Amino acid sequence: MGELALSLGINGKLFIAQLINFAIVLFVLYRFAYKPVLRMLEDRTQRIEKGIADAEASQKKLTEMTEKEKDVLSEAKKQAKQIIMAAEDQALKNRDEIIANAKEESTRLLQQAQKNMEDQKMQMINEVKKDLGTIVLMAVEKVIGEKVDHVKDAKMINDAINEN
Amino acid sequence: MEIEISLVPEIITEIAGFPITNTFFMTVIVSMLIIVGSYILSRRISTVPRGFQNIVEIILESLLGLVDSVTGNRAQSKKFFPIVATIFIFVILSNWVGLLPGMGTVGVEQVHHGENVLVSFVRSPSADLNLTIALALVSVIAAQYFGIRAVGFKGYLGKFFVSPFKKPYGIGTFVGVLEIISEFAKVVSFSFRLFGNVFAGEVLLIVMLSLVHYIVPVPFLLLEVFVGFIQALVFSMLALVFFKMATEAHH
Repeated sequence: MGELALSLGINGKLFIAQLINFAIVLFVLYRFAYKPVLRMLEDRTQRIEKGIADAEASQKKLTEMTEKEKDVLSEAKKQAKQIIMAAEDQALKNRDEIIANAKEESTRLLQQAQKNMEDQKMQMINEVKKDLGTIVLMAVEKVIGEKVDHVKDAKMINDAINEN
Repeated sequence: MEIEISLVPEIITEIAGFPITNTFFMTVIVSMLIIVGSYILSRRISTVPRGFQNIVEIILESLLGLVDSVTGNRAQSKKFFPIVATIFIFVILSNWVGLLPGMGTVGVEQVHHGENVLVSFVRSPSADLNLTIALALVSVIAAQYFGIRAVGFKGYLGKFFVSPFKKPYGIGTFVGVLEIISEFAKVVSFSFRLFGNVFAGEVLLIVMLSLVHYIVPVPFLLLEVFVGFIQALVFSMLALVFFKMATEAHH
């Protein structure tokens, strides 16, 4: 056995040295390569997964928002239409009312004006009647007080009228 | 120049009674390479990989994928991964370092059996049984460790020692004995497979180089690069499979 080992180059010291050497390499690789690299690979995998999940979530949210936006817009359009229609109705109603009011007002004013005119006319007539009486009285006085001839008569009448 | 092909790694020098063979010298170089590489890597590791980190990540990630494909279980993969990956990286670098120029040419002159012989510095560490047996022992012992951790000490021993009065009467006992033998056979097959392949490659290259100096050895060199990769893969994959088998409860 010893001879076989010798002819194969197996040497106890070298063998132990190789074992220790391998152990050192294993330790160093484990400590400085595997641990950090594997941790980082895991980190990166997690990050990428999170990134993809986030992207999907935001995409979903975006589509949801777009949908919502559409809904809101159509709702707003409907409401606007309703408001406009209501306003139009109201305006029509208002117009009719205003026209009717105006008509009423104008007829009322017209009537008032007519009535006023009539009143004034009556007053004037009354005044004229009163004045006429006085004028006639004066004329009669003049006629009676003076000698009347045709020329004078005419002049007198003219004067009377002109006096007025 | 006479070609001397030696099964035994040549001793370059001796330090305090400790023989420094050319293979041990190369082992130290490979180890230094790995240690320095790991140190550089750990210093500038970042989430956004760049350059060297990329290469290491590709290697480690594909190795982890390989381990996953055998274990089918990430938690178990993480237990096996350090040793499997270390074996792979260490063996592949050991195999390739022997292909560096200078193999069989750069070295010290020594007198062997009254003849002047050139002892090369460059010889693949895998072409040394000390290394391959050490690695094989590490693998087999690690397999026992993982087995005991997974199924318990008693359960694990139950794989090898089966009472002859149990159901198949004696057959189980016999299989148990075979299992014990196979554990030892693993050490031998592991170590001699790697040693044989790499040593044969070195011999082939030395012979080709001495026959035709230029161009012709190139395809053989490329072949040896491939063989170095395959042997490293085979060694680590077999170790991995043995780990996996050891952790499975026997029936």
